[in-house]
Formats: sequence, C-alpha cells, structure tokens
Amino acid sequence: MNDENRPDPDALLAEMQRDEARVKQGRLFIFLGMCPGVGKTYAMLQAGRQRANEGVGVLVGIVETHGRHETASLLEGMRVLPRKKLEHRGFTLEEFDIDAVLQQRPELVLVDELAHTNVPGSRHAKRYQDVLELIDSGIDVYTTLNVQHIDSQVDIVRQISGVAIQETVPDSILDRAHEIQLIDLSVEKLLERMADGKVYLGERAEEAVSGFFKEGNLTALRELSLRFTAEQVDRHLEDIRRAKRVSSPWKTNARLMVGVGPSPYAESLVRWTRRAATRLNCPWLVVWVEGARVLTPIEQDRLTRCLGLARKLGGEVVSVTGENVSEALLQVARERNVSQIVVGKPEKASMWSKSLADALITGSGDIDVCVVRPLAAADKSRNIVPLQESVSDSIIGEYSWAIVSLFAIASVCWGLVSYTGYMFVALVFLLAVVLAALRFSRGPVLTMATLSALCWNYFFIPPIFTFHISKPEDWIMFGMFFIVALSMGSLTSRLRMREVAERRRLRQTDALLRVTQSAALAAEPAKGLAEALRTINELLNANTALVVREQDRSLPKAAHKASSFQPSPKEWGVVAWSYENKQCAGRYTDTLPESAATWFPLQTATATMGVLGVQFEDTSRLDFVTRQMIEAFALQIALVLEKEHFIQAVSHAEMLSQSEKLHRTLLDSVSHELKTPIAIITAALEGMNGQQKSPYLDEITTATQRLQRVVDSLLQMTQLESDVLKPSLDWCDVRDVISAAQHAVGAPLETHAVKLRLADDFPLLKLDHTLLTQAVANILHNAAIYTPTGTSIDISATLREQQLRLIIRDHGPGLPAGVERRVFEKFFRVEGSPAGGTGLGLAIARGFVQAQGGEITARNHPDGGAEFVIEINRMATFVPTNK
Amino acid sequence: MTALIIDDEIQIRRLLRMALESKGYTVRDAETGQLGLQDAVFHKPDVILLDLGLPDMDGVEVLKRLREWSSVPVLILSVRDQEAVKLAAFDAGADDYVSKPFSTAELMARLAAIQRRQGAHDAANLQMGPLVLDPAHHEAALNGQPLKLTPTEYALLAQLVRHAGKIVTLKQLLRAVWGPQAEEQSQYLRVYANHLRKKLEGSSLEIKNEPGIGYRLEET
Repeated sequence: MNDENRPDPDALLAEMQRDEARVKQGRLFIFLGMCPGVGKTYAMLQAGRQRANEGVGVLVGIVETHGRHETASLLEGMRVLPRKKLEHRGFTLEEFDIDAVLQQRPELVLVDELAHTNVPGSRHAKRYQDVLELIDSGIDVYTTLNVQHIDSQVDIVRQISGVAIQETVPDSILDRAHEIQLIDLSVEKLLERMADGKVYLGERAEEAVSGFFKEGNLTALRELSLRFTAEQVDRHLEDIRRAKRVSSPWKTNARLMVGVGPSPYAESLVRWTRRAATRLNCPWLVVWVEGARVLTPIEQDRLTRCLGLARKLGGEVVSVTGENVSEALLQVARERNVSQIVVGKPEKASMWSKSLADALITGSGDIDVCVVRPLAAADKSRNIVPLQESVSDSIIGEYSWAIVSLFAIASVCWGLVSYTGYMFVALVFLLAVVLAALRFSRGPVLTMATLSALCWNYFFIPPIFTFHISKPEDWIMFGMFFIVALSMGSLTSRLRMREVAERRRLRQTDALLRVTQSAALAAEPAKGLAEALRTINELLNANTALVVREQDRSLPKAAHKASSFQPSPKEWGVVAWSYENKQCAGRYTDTLPESAATWFPLQTATATMGVLGVQFEDTSRLDFVTRQMIEAFALQIALVLEKEHFIQAVSHAEMLSQSEKLHRTLLDSVSHELKTPIAIITAALEGMNGQQKSPYLDEITTATQRLQRVVDSLLQMTQLESDVLKPSLDWCDVRDVISAAQHAVGAPLETHAVKLRLADDFPLLKLDHTLLTQAVANILHNAAIYTPTGTSIDISATLREQQLRLIIRDHGPGLPAGVERRVFEKFFRVEGSPAGGTGLGLAIARGFVQAQGGEITARNHPDGGAEFVIEINRMATFVPTNK
Repeated sequence: MTALIIDDEIQIRRLLRMALESKGYTVRDAETGQLGLQDAVFHKPDVILLDLGLPDMDGVEVLKRLREWSSVPVLILSVRDQEAVKLAAFDAGADDYVSKPFSTAELMARLAAIQRRQGAHDAANLQMGPLVLDPAHHEAALNGQPLKLTPTEYALLAQLVRHAGKIVTLKQLLRAVWGPQAEEQSQYLRVYANHLRKKLEGSSLEIKNEPGIGYRLEET
C-alpha cells in the first residue's frame, strides 16, 4: 500500500468521533418471553420506573395493560405519551406516536409489543421500524417481544403449534439489541396464572387455550426461547473474544448459499439458511437464477417477497441469469467460495428428469449440499389474484390467431390437395407452426402444432373425414409429423423466449450504461442529469424527480429542474425521511407506503447526495429486478453528483489560495512602502544623533517611533482581517514569551516593576511564540501607559487540564465600568486616554490569541487595577525530565 | 574591508554607505540583484548587505546563486518580518537577518559578529568574553571559574560560542547536538537552552531566543 494514500489516522479518528457525536446511537433493550402472559410488560415497566428513579428522562411510548391491575399500577406517576388517532375506513384507530417521541426526545422510551403491525396510514408498516428509527436518532428503547414473532423461528413455531404467525420481526433487530433479557416462567405457573384469568388471550380466548396454550406447546416454546437467548449470549461472548484478537471477521470460513425461485417454499428455505448461518456465525447468500421463462404475477410477487425477506434477515442477494439452474448455482458457489449449498427437498421424485438437488449433488465437487425439507409459506398469497385472471388479452388473441390461421391454411390446402398430394399439406402445416413460433408464446404454438396434426389426419390423410389411418406408412408419417411439429414449435418458442430475455437484459445493461454516460460525460452537469432522468423515464415508463442536497447538506426547497414531477408538500416528508435515514421509502416499501412515489437515497460510500423519486404510472408492484435497476441508477447519479461536489470543492480551495496569495502580495508591497521611509528616517536620525544634539531631533525621534507603532498596528490588523494569518506552533517557554514581550514594549515599561509568578517546573507549551508575544506586549504596553509610574504589573501563568491561563494585572485605576468587552473592539479608546494610541492594541491582542484557538477577557480585580486573562485550551505540553 | 550593499532604495544605500564608511569600510553598492551578483564576482567583498525585495529578482534567489560559489558573510536587511521568510533566508545560507526599520548601532554589531566568526574557526580554544571552552577536554570556564556542564550542555554551548553573536537556527543546533534524526524535536533544545541560561546567569553573556528561528549568544 502506498503510504501517501493512507488517510491520517488521527484525522480519521477525529472524524469518527465527530460523527459519533452527531448521531449517537440509542440502545435497545428487549424483554423476551416465550408467549403472552409471562410478565414482559410488567418487567419492562419495573425497569423503566427504576431508571426514572435514577433521574433518567423516561417516557412511556405505548403500553398495553390489557386491564391487568398490577401492570396498570406501575404506570402511575410515569409520563405516558398520548396515542395518535388515525382514521381508517371510517374507524378511529389508535397508534403509537413516533413523531411526538422524536419531538420530545426523552432519554428512554418504553414501547410495548415490538412485533405489532401499525395501523395503515402510519409512517412505518411495522412497529419495529419505529423502534429502529428511535434508536438511530439516539433515544434508548425498552421493548417486549415473544419468541414466536422472531422471523427465523416462525417455521419452528408452526411445526410445534400448528399456528402460522403473521406478525414477525426480522432477526437483524435482535443483533442491534444492546441487551436481551429473558423473562422466564415455568409452564405450571403460567397455566396457573391463566386459570386465574391473569393472562390476556385476545378476543378468541377459547380457541387460544385449546389450540396454542397446551402444555406440550408451552414447554417447547419455553425451550425455544431459552435456547434462542443462549445463542444470543454465545454470539455476544464470541464478539467480545473476537474484538480482543484482531482476526477474520467470521469465526469460520464457512459460507452458506441458498438457491431460491418463485416457489411457495422459498421463504422457509431462506429462514432455514439464516438460522444455520447464525449458528455457524458465517455469511450467507441467496441466489435467484433468472431463466428464460417470464414469471406470472403471482410468482413475481412471491419472488419479490422472498428476496425482500432475505435482505431483511441480513443475507446477500445475488441474481444471475442462466438456462440451467443447477449449473448457474454451482458457478456462483465456486465464484463466492461457498462451503454449503442449501436446496429444498423435491416434493415427489420425477421419473423424467433429475431433480435440482440431484443435479447439484452430482456437480458440487467439494461443496456440501444440504437438502432441507421446506414448509410451504403460510398462505399469504391466497388473497392474490389467481392465475386465470392474469392471463392477458394478448395470449387469448394469440390463441385465436393460431386457430384461425390454421383453418385458413387448411381450407386453402383443401383446394390444392388434388394437385399436390397430401404430403405437401404436411409441409405447409409445419411451416405455419414454425412461423407461429416466431411470433407467439409457447401455449398457442403447442396448441397449433397439435391441432395441425389432427387436422392433417382428419382432412387430408386418406381415408379423409376420419381419424382412421389405413396405410402403415401414413401412421409413421403422422407420428413423425406430430413429433416434428411439437418439437419445432417448442424449440422455436424457447429460442424466441431466450432472445426476448436476452434483449430485456441487454436493454437494462444498455440503459444503465446510457444513464452513466449521459450523467458522467456531459460537459454541463445539469444537462447530463436531465438526460439521465429522461433515459430512466423512458425505460421504466415512469416519472422521476431528483432532489439534490445543498452545499450545507440540507435539502432544497424544490426538486432539480430536470425532474418530471414535483413532489407535493406531503411527499417532501417522505423525501426528508429517506434522505436522513439513508433508506428507501414511499410507495411499495414498508415506510410511508401511502405516498405517491418511491424514494431512493443517492448513497455513495461516504455521503448521501440527495434522493431520487420514481412515480410509476400503472404498475401495481415494484418487482425485485426493477428495484435493483433503480438502485443502480441511483448509485450512478450519486457518484456523478459526488464527483461534481469534489470538483467544486477543489476549485473553491484553489480560488481561496489564489486570493490569499494576492492578499499576501498586496500586504507585502504596502508594508514595504510604509516601512522603508520610516527606516530611512530612523537611520538618518541615528546618524545625526552621533554628530549633534538638538531638542528638535528628540521630537522627530519620538514622532517617528509613534508612527512606526501605528504602522505596525495597522499592518497587523490588516493581516488579521484578511485571514492570511496562520499560527505556526512550536515548543515555547512562557518565560521567553514574557521577556520578549517586555523587550518589545521597551521604554514605557521601564517605569514599572514587572513581577512574574510561575512554577519552577512549568512545562513547555506548543504555541505560536510571535503571536502570543505580540498579544502580551500590547497588553503590557497598555498597562504601562494607563497606570501611574512606579506601580507594579503582576504576571502569572497556570496550567490546569491542558488549559493555559495567563493573567496580567496592573495596579492602576482599573477599567471604567461597562467597557470590559468593548476594550477589545477596533479603534475603541477609553475616555481620557493619553494621546498617541490607535485603539488597535487590544483588538490585535485578541485577534492573535484567537488565531491560536484561545480567548482573552478583561475585568477589574476586586482589590483594584485591571486584569487581563488569556486562556488557551487543549495545549500540548512537554514536561522535561530531570536528566 | 569591503562591504557590498544590494538594495533598490537609493536613500537606504546612501545612509548605509555613510554609516559603514564611518566605521572604516570601503563601500560598493548595486541596485538590482543582477548587478549585485556581478559586483560580488568582480570585487569579492568581505561582507554583503542584501535586501529581499529587489526589482529584478527575489533576494533569496540572489543569495542562492551567490552561495553556489561563495561563502562570503551575508546579512539580510528587509521589511519582511514573518518567521517563514526569515527561515527561508537562513536555509538559503544567510548569516543574519535584520528587519527594517533597524537601529544602525545594532546593525553594525551584527555585521561585526558575522565577520568575526569567519576567522574564529580554527582556534584551539573557543572564547567569548568571560567564557572559555576547551574542545579537547570538553571543559568550560566562566570568569576563570570552572563551569559544570553535562556533555549535551557543553555541545550546545560550543555550537553557540562557535557562532558567537550570530543566529544559529533550531535545525542546525538540533542536528549538531542531537543528530539529524532529532531535527523536529525542538522541545529538548528549549529545555537545555533554559539550563544553560541559568548557568550563565550573572555573567555578561545572554542566550537570546529568536522566536521560530533559533538562538543567538550575545555579549552585553
């Protein structure tokens, strides 16, 4: 590695600390139980009360007491947040009010039932997303959760109890937990409590008792929760161990991969893999092989949900294309060094072809293949449009076209058959099937092939108007025709489908390239962005809006002018949320799904450059491929914007350094012009003094000295105000600074006794010697001319916690009341000051102290006299050893 | 003794000429860097007074070209008083630096100091006022009394005495006393300079600190 490219570690550290200060993460505490009724809410409230007693600002965000007195009594005296009221289909529903919490910013908020699904119209679809947002904004959260709601445990719970859980939270939220506390209760106790009516079972109490709360179920759930907690503790311990020795981020070099498709079993395979990966503590990927076949809407939906789940659970999603699924999977597995491939067990063995599992096992080589019995997804897809309805009009059109053209050909041939013979007709039919295959999809083509075979048989093979065939060679011919027609049709249509898929992929790649090129290579960035957005619009058949952040990292008032729609005021809320949380939001997502457009953050490795909004005109869903494509566009645009940002920053810095150079040159020439005449006068006076004495000469000498002081002050002030002043820090002895300052003041100080109080072992400090000396000299000069001759001036310096305090106190009349601050203003002079000052001395002193990050203040000492205090923080010190 | 003044201000040149001639110097002058360099080649002056702001080229550039072939003592006389400018001049080989407006008396003292040093190199004993150093035995005496010094203190003091009256930059001192790897460790130098100051207290010698530039041993 090249050393020059390596960032300065100190700078990095400082940057990190600054970032940390900006977004301090809140901590998440989860009270985990095996089932309702074990006392999670009670335990959470108790813990909350205890924190409140310790003086922490605790807010009860939402707690369901279910009419339990013990629980309700714990709420007394706590700050409880009013619930938000939402209208939904004529009902008024109550929901947890996340905005109120973010506004009140308590230190700790209690949020019951993490797995709760929010009322439609809330910001997030799920409550756990609310909780994540709270901890991201720096608020600690206590929450409760039952083990059956954990996403990776859902299948197991279903196997145990037969109940399909709908409300789940992703496992990743448990990784974010600072602490997971298990609330355990023996099964006997729980059943006892239920008998006493102390457990809330929901509206369907009877059903719950008979179905779910059986002793066997409860014991199994208890084991599940105990084991889950143990696993979490184990991982935590592992983290600590790993933090101590720096080594590879994963415990093992295992890597799991699961192949998924649009089947109802895919979700359970993903969950299984996540569980296994957690136990092995290894990374895992989910691979979807996109074949030539176009997915039906149901399949598309299943796949999108499955890949979404994989992402949510923390898996890496890879999508590849390939005709042969097992080969594609194995290729990915080799490329990514996968150690185990997970596949579902085929439901029934097929006589015809090898199952995917078999194919994988055959080709896997040294990679393990894990064949898992998957569970069909608890049928959430029931409410999705059935397949028949999704058959589009174009398919019906294709069928009718196929049949009509077939009969048209048949009737033409009927007229010709007497001249050509029936063999010719077969060839005409074959030609029609092949041509149809080039246009139509598989179904119509296969229908046409079958029908044409039958038609040929019925109308043309003698004896005609029967399906009976008399000659054996005609039998063979018929069979051959049937097979040829079918395979031709199927082959051609497969070829065409592959071509279509290829073209689609090509179009996507091409679009991405076009977006990148137009955005990155345009001479004018605004035009390039407009071009890129237009490309996206065309490709997705959608409207887009681009919101680019301002220089100060805030969001602008309006979208970029290249946008094809402007977000409504309500939509801006979504934009801001997406920008701040660096997450996708809006339609088709779990966050603020009610909005009109979907918003993607323009995220690069280091910054969020803005948000890209996409508003589809007709699509009812956003499939995974499209989403991935938009994300790729967003990344490209973000990179272009970031590049633009850097270019601007560089040119700005260049401009600054140019103007600084100009300033410096100007200052040099002005100071040359002013100082040279003074130098000449001084030198001439000195020469004359050697030869003759005259009172006139003394007057000129005094005036020249004064002029020199004024010119020096004015030049110093100009230097301060033009920002060309850069302190150069070096090790300094404070004694040196003070004696140099005394020396600089010279004659006026000779009438005063300067007393210095300083510890013998006062360390060396890293300071700008020249600037501090000038600052002290200016203060000493003032002290000398404003106080009666013969009085003393006390200087003392102390160092405490790396802060230097330099106190200069005189024994004069002190400052007039009320001017303690104003004395540091430019050209300010106390009334009755002796003539000959510019009123710049203290202003310069302050400027020079501030230039090294210090501050200077003035006040009257209680025992009389003025006191000036110079304070400089974070001083590097060096204490010499006595050697 | 010949002095060469390189300065574009005619009044400064005239005044310096008067001051120098009164001290017995033969004075030559030049108003541009180019002319100054030519004069230095042909007339081999014993000391050069150089201004930094010349009309045809920067004074530091003149100094660099001069140092390619000559080690004549050079005193910089300039209105620029920033540390960075001074350091650049010392790095280019200046022997001392006086900022304008200047005191003629001080200027003469500095000139004398940088010329004296020229001859003092090979003496067996290093001497400055009441201080005598014996390089052979690493011993020092002040006012005839032996002065107790640690080896580091001795090395530092010897450097300062060798360049008596003249600025020695921090870098030069650090390199000479602690070695090239210590060039940035000015804190040690500060500590030892303070030790030395205490030991020289009461004598006519003073170690003067030139902020950001270096140290100068002066006799008052």
